[in-house]
Amino acid sequence: MSRRPRRHTGLLTACSLVLATAGTLTACGPDGSPSSSATPELKVTGAYMPAPSTDTMAAGFFTVTNSGGADTLTSVTSDLSDDVTMHATVDGAMQEKKSFTVPAEGTLAFASGGNHLMFAKLTHKPGQGEKVSVELHFAKSGTVRISMPVKPATYDPKTGR
Amino acid sequence: MRKKTYATAALFAAAALTLSACGSGDDSAEPVTVVSGSTKAATVLDDNPYEKPDLVLTDTTGKKYDLRAETKGRPTLVYVGYTHCPDVCPLTMNNIAVAKKQLPKAEQDKLRVVFVTTDPARDTPAALGTWLKGIDSDFIGLTGDFDTIQAGARALHITVEPTTKDKNGKTVSVHGTQVVAFSPKTDAGYVLYGEKATVDDYTKDLPKIAEGKNP
Repeated sequence: MSRRPRRHTGLLTACSLVLATAGTLTACGPDGSPSSSATPELKVTGAYMPAPSTDTMAAGFFTVTNSGGADTLTSVTSDLSDDVTMHATVDGAMQEKKSFTVPAEGTLAFASGGNHLMFAKLTHKPGQGEKVSVELHFAKSGTVRISMPVKPATYDPKTGR
Repeated sequence: MRKKTYATAALFAAAALTLSACGSGDDSAEPVTVVSGSTKAATVLDDNPYEKPDLVLTDTTGKKYDLRAETKGRPTLVYVGYTHCPDVCPLTMNNIAVAKKQLPKAEQDKLRVVFVTTDPARDTPAALGTWLKGIDSDFIGLTGDFDTIQAGARALHITVEPTTKDKNGKTVSVHGTQVVAFSPKTDAGYVLYGEKATVDDYTKDLPKIAEGKNP
């Protein structure tokens, strides 16, 4: 008798915890029911932009961690540029891609030397310490707005400098 | 997938320090920007150094620049890339710029850092100059006829293809990932840096390269 409601409460708590950590991301289903394995639970961390040399071009990096079902990153927008594209490194070659899969219970990493965002024709040359507003658009989770700090041009996330 | 990529990259690095436009096989057949798969920070060519290419191009002031004549007897780093490159090209040049500033002033003045564009249509002397000024105003930028650039790169075992438009009308350029370091003693290239080379790697090695020693 007492087991069922308790279990229900437990799930709801877990759900709101995810909501709290993930900010604006939807962790619960559309009807407010606890998330099933098919619902992605995304968290974006480690975002940065190496300070570009000119206003022609900049790169952007971040990691999406997913503790739920698979999702797809379909596009990226930013007020820094009207031309933001996504590139992958496949077998040592870089190529533009229309979308990226965020695997279930997995991560999608955009990291230097691998996948990267490419911002072209910048509205201005962002300086170190500036924060660039970037929207990641996901097929299931919708839009996630992140604040991408501008780091030194030689920034290495492994050493943090 | 990731494993496979690394394995292939290692193969490429082992087989030849050249770049090649390999298709992905499991993805779209769009033209690609090519990067090498070298995973080590530096490779030292003790027995088989590269000859400095006989390369005459145009510098950022619009003047003729003869690589062999201008860099004779000087420690010289050469990189082949393009400025519309968001990730590896500026990172490589900035890594060298930061490391260079840690050399004594006299050594900094002797060092020549040469960036050769693979995209001469967009990288005019002025465009190249603006880009390099944002990194280190002492760096030399060279542009000119693509065939000349390609031949120069080939002498460094770096394969580059002309900038092309892909089927979506996007401009696709190619860069190398190796920086070749030439000795001031012999003017030959003994050290190759891959794209994993960090500020610390260059900072550690530049004093030796400046003296004509291999790191």
